[in-house]
Amino acid sequence: MCGIVGFLNKTIARPEPLGATLLGMLRALGCRGPDSAGVAVFHEPVDGRVLQIKLSDDVDTAIAAQRIRDAASACGRLVSDRVTGPYLRLVVQANGDASEIERIVESAAPGIEVISLGRRLEILKQVGSPDALDATYGIARMNGSHGLGHTRLSTESKVDLSHSQPFWAHGVPDLATVHNGHITNYHKLRRRYEQQGYRFYTENDSEVIGIYLRDRMAAGLPLTDALRSSLDDFDGSFSYLAASENMLAYVRDRFGFKPLVIAETDDFVAVATEEIALRNAIGADFDAREPAPGTLRVWSVASPSAVLATA
Amino acid sequence: MTFSIDCSGKTTREINLLLRGAIAAGQREIRVVGSNARHNLGVALLEPVRITFEGSVGYYCGGMSDGPTIEIRGSAGWGTAESMMNGTVIIDGDAGSGVAASIRGGTVVVRGNAAARAGVSMKGGSLLIQGSVGYMAGFMMQKGTIVICGDAGEALADSMYAGTVFVGGQIADLGNDAVIEQPTPADEALLAEQLHRYSLRPPASFKKIVSGRKLWNFDKSELETWKVAL
Repeated sequence: MCGIVGFLNKTIARPEPLGATLLGMLRALGCRGPDSAGVAVFHEPVDGRVLQIKLSDDVDTAIAAQRIRDAASACGRLVSDRVTGPYLRLVVQANGDASEIERIVESAAPGIEVISLGRRLEILKQVGSPDALDATYGIARMNGSHGLGHTRLSTESKVDLSHSQPFWAHGVPDLATVHNGHITNYHKLRRRYEQQGYRFYTENDSEVIGIYLRDRMAAGLPLTDALRSSLDDFDGSFSYLAASENMLAYVRDRFGFKPLVIAETDDFVAVATEEIALRNAIGADFDAREPAPGTLRVWSVASPSAVLATA
Repeated sequence: MTFSIDCSGKTTREINLLLRGAIAAGQREIRVVGSNARHNLGVALLEPVRITFEGSVGYYCGGMSDGPTIEIRGSAGWGTAESMMNGTVIIDGDAGSGVAASIRGGTVVVRGNAAARAGVSMKGGSLLIQGSVGYMAGFMMQKGTIVICGDAGEALADSMYAGTVFVGGQIADLGNDAVIEQPTPADEALLAEQLHRYSLRPPASFKKIVSGRKLWNFDKSELETWKVAL
């Protein structure tokens, strides 16, 4: 089990911040994933890149943070930096290659991992419940146009921050995924991608989804086509969500092994593992339906900045 | 008189205990508001009571029950009415996967569509669906009737032992050893009566699907069929 949620705000008049909606949905799915919780939020674009970086377990936090600042300033001017718990949040006025920025930051000290990178994407995740995540990072106050959330029940890999979800698709700015299920050809795919030089940060099979999308996009496929081809290329059970700067999508395996429900109104799109998440966070005044197995759907974020500017 | 239970702020266990308490105290009409897709509501009830859920329910609502009439004024999650012995479950909206799985008796009505694996392994009873169903409806069913007024997905009635499936719309494809027959006048009369009783709109005509019985006994000359089935 695991719980996944996604929310896309279509209007300017939501009564609460995006983070509060995601948190409300995740709370209802806490029992599906008691190990860890996380969110991916797409907020107003920064000038340059915003990075959420997991500081090293091996090196003192302050020392590691200073080394990262020094390294990152080689990429561009540091606009802001803040340490919260194990995270360093950096805004760098750099628009260069994401992989290069990631490489420079991660080489500053051992054990450092870029958890998210983009103009709008920020991922925050940790071991523990959705409420604990909110207590640490104030998730409920986070504004944004759309986002993802995850509660994790680990079945085969370790329970720590890195193995939690959402996953950033390393190397692709502003692309994140959350997954419920088990990609059974993970080891085969991982071997192939490692031979091609892709780095895996965890032993979690869900991480391969982002790497797969990155690889397909690098081969020239638009994101929607990459999502579609994953229906054939992944084995096993999967209901997964992907979100980029300007879209939110679901993909569901052809047997519908893992549950998923969708609600769409003129005001929002909400997707979750169980309907209870939608009712808990958004209310009773809309229909929810189970999408057919073997399907996907992509919703575009019409004008995220307009939504955010007036929110 | 109708007795009401408000689910706000209550856990599933508290709601089910209130339901059982009300039934034990002699209530026969119970209205439950604010169910908000909680799981396991109204399960294993053995009395002929009428319970109305004003809103959606989550997984397994009405499962393992024997006798009650449960109306759901919303949609229902996975495994609704699973393993029901007898009684009636009526879903106004859509039903999630595995609706009426393994029921032994009673009637399940879906006014919307049903997702995958509807009525799998049914051992009796009826499943009536106004809309369409996903793949593998009626898989390995052993007895009972499934009526689908709309379309049916892939592998319909795969490996069914016995029982009957009726489909009003298109069939994406038939499962292993499922064969189409002409409905008899008795079938037509029964269908008309059942649809009328629950105010379901009948389609223009029905196709009848039954077991070809080729999988009942192993036959070496049908090895190819078995390879596909297994």
